[in-house]
Amino acid sequence: MLEAPTGRSVRTSENCDLNPFDRPAIDMALRLRKELGGTVTALSMGPGSCEFAIYDAVAMGVDRGVLLSDPALAESDTLATTTALAAAVERLGPYDLVLFGTRTSDSDTGQVGPQTAVLLGIPMVTGAVFIENTESGLTVLRRSDGFLETFALSYPAAMTIHPSAAQPIDAGLSGISTAYDGETVEKWSLKDIGLSPRQVGEAGSPTRVTALNRAKRERKCEFISGETEEQADTLIHHLLEQGLIG
Amino acid sequence: MDTFLSDKHRSVRRSVRTFCEREILPIARDIDQEAAFPWEAAEKMGRLGYFGIQVPQALSGADLDTVSYMIIIEEVSKASASLGLCLSVHNSVAVFPIQAFATEKQKKRWLPPLCRGEKIGAFCLTEPNAGSDAGGIEATAIRDGDHYVVNANKVFVTNGGIADICLMFVRTDPGAGRKGISVLVAERGIPGFVVGDLEDLCGVRANPVCSIRLYDCRIPVDNLLSTEGMGLRIGLAALDAGRVGIAAQAVGIAQAALEESVRYAKQRRQFNVPISKHQMIQSMIADMATQVDAARLMVYRAAVLRDQSKSYSQAAAMAKLFASEVSTAVTDLAVQIHGGYGYSRSYPVERYYRDARVTRIYEGTSEIHRIVIARGVLGD
Repeated sequence: MLEAPTGRSVRTSENCDLNPFDRPAIDMALRLRKELGGTVTALSMGPGSCEFAIYDAVAMGVDRGVLLSDPALAESDTLATTTALAAAVERLGPYDLVLFGTRTSDSDTGQVGPQTAVLLGIPMVTGAVFIENTESGLTVLRRSDGFLETFALSYPAAMTIHPSAAQPIDAGLSGISTAYDGETVEKWSLKDIGLSPRQVGEAGSPTRVTALNRAKRERKCEFISGETEEQADTLIHHLLEQGLIG
Repeated sequence: MDTFLSDKHRSVRRSVRTFCEREILPIARDIDQEAAFPWEAAEKMGRLGYFGIQVPQALSGADLDTVSYMIIIEEVSKASASLGLCLSVHNSVAVFPIQAFATEKQKKRWLPPLCRGEKIGAFCLTEPNAGSDAGGIEATAIRDGDHYVVNANKVFVTNGGIADICLMFVRTDPGAGRKGISVLVAERGIPGFVVGDLEDLCGVRANPVCSIRLYDCRIPVDNLLSTEGMGLRIGLAALDAGRVGIAAQAVGIAQAALEESVRYAKQRRQFNVPISKHQMIQSMIADMATQVDAARLMVYRAAVLRDQSKSYSQAAAMAKLFASEVSTAVTDLAVQIHGGYGYSRSYPVERYYRDARVTRIYEGTSEIHRIVIARGVLGD
């Protein structure tokens, strides 16, 4: 959640929620676990107040949750964030797949998944809609405009999961009960992933947000006049022109 | 308001609210108007654990505490009081007495399908001549070998039209007065089990409330809950839990009415300003918000006492009395704030107004609750 005018990101429990774009990744991970076995770990980075997002993931059915949380991580840009996440993934290893949401619902850069894959040195497919296990590795379908691209990958691999690949899943009440009563959620600090404060946070971030201003959206209202049929024709014409239908 | 709630409680609220906004709110108006029980939503709720909220997971329940349970009833009732009622009755006065009084064998038989929502529970106490006066039950169960032969006429059975497992309050010893009442579990479909016509109710219309009649029904002795003569004790224990649930339902309805009123008052303009700028409207909104908060706190207090295994009958009675009175008062103000539109089906507040009214009647009328509370205060 970005708050103007300070330009700094302020995250509190009131404005935090499990990133809706991560839900498809969780859903895909749980589906793959059902098909192929193995375990699923949910990993996130954020202040302690965001711990419940991990609990929500555990409630949805993941086996283990890790929240990477350290004061030194505050003000991390995407590179510092992915440095920390990649170190945490290495620590969680060995692993077969690292799945990400396509983007976040707050900063919306879409960089975290691909950058983490680069740092881990593993192949990455963005916007995956279908994953299938094969003898030599896995086949991944990616939606690209009106086409479906097919990739053959070897393990370990990373991908971001397109929202269309999953149905919304609700955390069952017994899932919530288990998540909070069990010992499935761990909190890691910078020390746990072997990084120094210089590599992350403001110090480890090569980019700076120099200003943050609320974007103004232009709205205009146009009244369509004439007979009902004329109005309908004009409306259809406008919609066609703007590529909204047709 | 909820600073004393745990992260787990908040997670429950978030999860239920998201579900209700997506699955129940869009159909709430239609199921009320058509008096249709929403099976599709109920089945989803069954898979998510809404029908076995406080039952251990080994018996397919969600194993949550009473505070979580109240949060769930409030949130569901906020979207649809009829479904909130269905859940409260199912969990509090059907599932809970089985959990508390049944044998292990009976629990394994009845609880898993009830908790998954595959079977719906009902509580059959009220008769044409017995309601507030539960001792006046006339239904009879006469022992015949390893069966009871039961004749009963139960009216105003909440969930009646869809219930599979009915807790039937019957007289097993006609000469024993209040101590001659027992609870038998009657399963829908046995010969002589007749479901009456649905009541055409003023509110909670999506809940199929109807009469259930048993004509010479042979119910196995294995279906007796606890022992003969325990009926009223089971009933009172169930109703203590049920009252908190109905109080939470009343809070949910009132909260919905408050939110609709705030939304409306901010967009409706009169005398060149939104009506929320008028002090008389502000006064109503302030009273509504305060009363809803107070009612909710009373519900939470009763729930916390129950979770701590402390006596909570008095707290439950007070919460139920207060919350139901608040709910009718707040929904009445909501209609007033909406003016003519509030009296029309174009806006949801008339539904809240109708739904709230019954909370002062079922699971113990306001008058019965005042008797219970006075008895506790006076120590009689």
